Amino acid sequence: MPKVKDLKNILNILSILILLLQLSCAQNKKRENIIVASAGKVESLDPAQANTLRALQILSALGDTLYKINNVGNLSPSLAKDLPKVSKDGLRIDIPLKENISFHDGSIFNAEAMKFSLDRFMSIGTLNYLLQDKIEDVEVKDEFLLSIKLKKPSSSIKSLLTSVNLTPVSPNSYLNYIDKFNNYNFVGTGPYFLESFNATQQIIKPFNNYWGEKPLNKGIDFVNYNNSTTLFGAIKTKEVDVLISNSIDDMQRVALNNMVNKEKLNSGEGAPIEIGYITFKSNKLPLKNKIIRKALSYTIDRELISQQVSFGTRAPLRSIVPPQLHKKVFSPWPKYKPNFARNFLKKAGYCDANILSIPLTFRSNVPADKLLALTWKDQIKRDLADCMKISLNGVESTTVYKQLSEGAFEAVILDWTAAYPDPEAYLTPLLSCSKIKNNTCLKGEAVFSGSFWGDNELQELLEKSEELEGESRLNALTKVEEIAAKGNPYLPIWLVKPKAWSLKDISKPEFSSNGLIILKNLERN
Amino acid sequence: MSSKKELFKYILSRLALLPIMLWIISSLVFILLRIAPGDPVDAILGNRANELARESLRIKLGLNKPLINQYIEYLNNLIHGNLGISLNTQEPVKVIISKALPASIELAIFAILISSIVGYLIGFLGAIRPGTKIDFFGRILGIGTYAIPPFWAAMLIQIIFAVLLGWFPIGGRLPPGMSSPPSVTGFLLLDSILNKNFEIFFSSFKHLILPSITLGLLLSGIFSRSLRLNLEDILKKDYIEAARSRGINKSRILFKHALPNTLLPILTIMGLTVSSLIGGALLIEITFSWPGIAIGLQEAINQRDYPVVQGIVVIISSLVVMISVAIDIAIAYIDPRVSY
Repeated sequence: MPKVKDLKNILNILSILILLLQLSCAQNKKRENIIVASAGKVESLDPAQANTLRALQILSALGDTLYKINNVGNLSPSLAKDLPKVSKDGLRIDIPLKENISFHDGSIFNAEAMKFSLDRFMSIGTLNYLLQDKIEDVEVKDEFLLSIKLKKPSSSIKSLLTSVNLTPVSPNSYLNYIDKFNNYNFVGTGPYFLESFNATQQIIKPFNNYWGEKPLNKGIDFVNYNNSTTLFGAIKTKEVDVLISNSIDDMQRVALNNMVNKEKLNSGEGAPIEIGYITFKSNKLPLKNKIIRKALSYTIDRELISQQVSFGTRAPLRSIVPPQLHKKVFSPWPKYKPNFARNFLKKAGYCDANILSIPLTFRSNVPADKLLALTWKDQIKRDLADCMKISLNGVESTTVYKQLSEGAFEAVILDWTAAYPDPEAYLTPLLSCSKIKNNTCLKGEAVFSGSFWGDNELQELLEKSEELEGESRLNALTKVEEIAAKGNPYLPIWLVKPKAWSLKDISKPEFSSNGLIILKNLERN
Repeated sequence: MSSKKELFKYILSRLALLPIMLWIISSLVFILLRIAPGDPVDAILGNRANELARESLRIKLGLNKPLINQYIEYLNNLIHGNLGISLNTQEPVKVIISKALPASIELAIFAILISSIVGYLIGFLGAIRPGTKIDFFGRILGIGTYAIPPFWAAMLIQIIFAVLLGWFPIGGRLPPGMSSPPSVTGFLLLDSILNKNFEIFFSSFKHLILPSITLGLLLSGIFSRSLRLNLEDILKKDYIEAARSRGINKSRILFKHALPNTLLPILTIMGLTVSSLIGGALLIEITFSWPGIAIGLQEAINQRDYPVVQGIVVIISSLVVMISVAIDIAIAYIDPRVSY
């Protein structure tokens, strides 16, 4: 009997302890700030250094860009007063700036400040090569007139000016950071100012002197969790208000979507900007053989893969540019036709006794890649076992990126998200090549992409498109993609839309064209 | 006196080995990181940066120097207590470690506390009452905690107690929106007491419960098994039998004669466990989003941030080596049979 009594006492003490802890729980209090959760630490808030989605998300709320671009690639002024004026020879762009805009430290935003920010980015920015290739010099023509001198005509430079990385910073606050990063602070012109920063939590508050529309909330707390299950649990238990979709497993995306259908959550999604694709190494046999690459383009059942891997949340894709950017329905890659594939493989000398073996590499730390690889392998086994087989090889992503340009992978699953919504931002990084020999790229972006595929006509068109504007530019880029689809150095698989879920008492998340949540529009009802 | 002198000599010899071990470990880490595929320049710039950008970053980071020069510079800095600067964030490695290590140590201390209480209690009861339900439970616990994958156990505990029951927070060290108190020691519990902020104290304590219970329970099996086996063995020894035959009280035999003799193997196991926990329990830290040293190390490896990886490994190794030496010395001091 005393033992039972002891046990009861222990249980009583434990219950009281748990009760006390529950009472101490801060989350029961009515929250003022909106808590936004996502995966990944923020190690730097310096626009010259930031490169993770989470860091860019915060920067987009702390700073403004010269221009904004909508989902179909149309430019509108933000810090700029008007659209850029391009000189006749295409080598100079004049940008008039808005007046009466101040930085969070009270200093004035003007052409000097913008020049300071662009020069600083070109000097120390980790992605400075994006500008260095295009910009010769940045000049101040007037207090509110900036002039950019280009190395060669570039129609894509305007889209580049919408990049969050080029948000201006206050010269006053960054005087000691001209040649080094200011990782833990940010002083810009945006609707929010940074209240506190550490790697796992960042708090931003509305900036009272903001020149534009004021935020609809009283502040945002960004928190990070390391894995999908914790992120999922955090919104389910209402520990956080908004959940951003990066790093959420497909299974949990479906569960969250079901909660939306049952009206337990709100959700919002942006225009798709991430593409998933397979790169074929085209400078060595067997994939050097154009017929085999063509055969492979018919082998993939994208609908099946989309269902099996993502329960339909990743839309099948037959282009390497998100379709909305072409402003028309455009899918140059062929549909799944195993019989066509068999015929091409027979033409290349395979099938029956001679089975083509393709080693497919996937990034072992990306669950969707692994599922895609497994599904495609089984689908080939089901449909084309007499002609080809796929062997799988999982490699950690950092190693994949390093070895890609060394030609280590015959076929490898990758993804790409452009820095700004423009077809050029997808085509150039995958296809551009400065030295081509017999359809093999020896130097250029196609080498870094691991395809080693080049085409002179394509390259000419790509370069020519930089001198064109409007519809003629789009047509040139469409033609570029058509040529790529004929050469088949890549096999587009799916399109991923940025998505976010919010609690019912928070407004539906809205996205900008670059896949980032518009934080100032989040509102607690 | 001569025995004390010999012990002193033994301690000196163990301490003299310390820098040699650290040199071997740090050199191995240096070499292995350079051999491993992957490049910090790729991790920072992405694989699409042009050659000029890559080369200028390589020069800026000092990665263009011959490997031997990099090695000498690294050793020289290490001797002077300089762990270097992170390639990725340009933050001193010392600062990165000082932020993450207290979180891991805090978790380790609580986990060891829980595992000791649970494990030793069950092991003790199992040994003095062999064949009873508690003994059976102890055996199951011993096998179970060995067999269950830590991440699975952690996820299960997280789903039940945080998601379904909502008793505890899902992860992290503090609730979202709550800022850490000014850092004095880096240990949140301690810092919140020092800053007299009891809201943070209770919140951080609550965040500590699930990860430390998970880790503690997973470790309790080995503690329970080791105590049970050792105690059972000792209880069969002749000197215990002799004590019983002299009519010495049962609890006196147990606590005065038997238990102290189980101390040596337990001390060794505990030392090894503490050592391994200081390096962080990666899967537990990942599952509960605990911002400890193991997550820091994993991220640094993914980014090929050489100085951070080297710094963390050297610090962890130093702590592990020092703990091992301390345990060796303690054992040598306690057990007269150990020859120095």
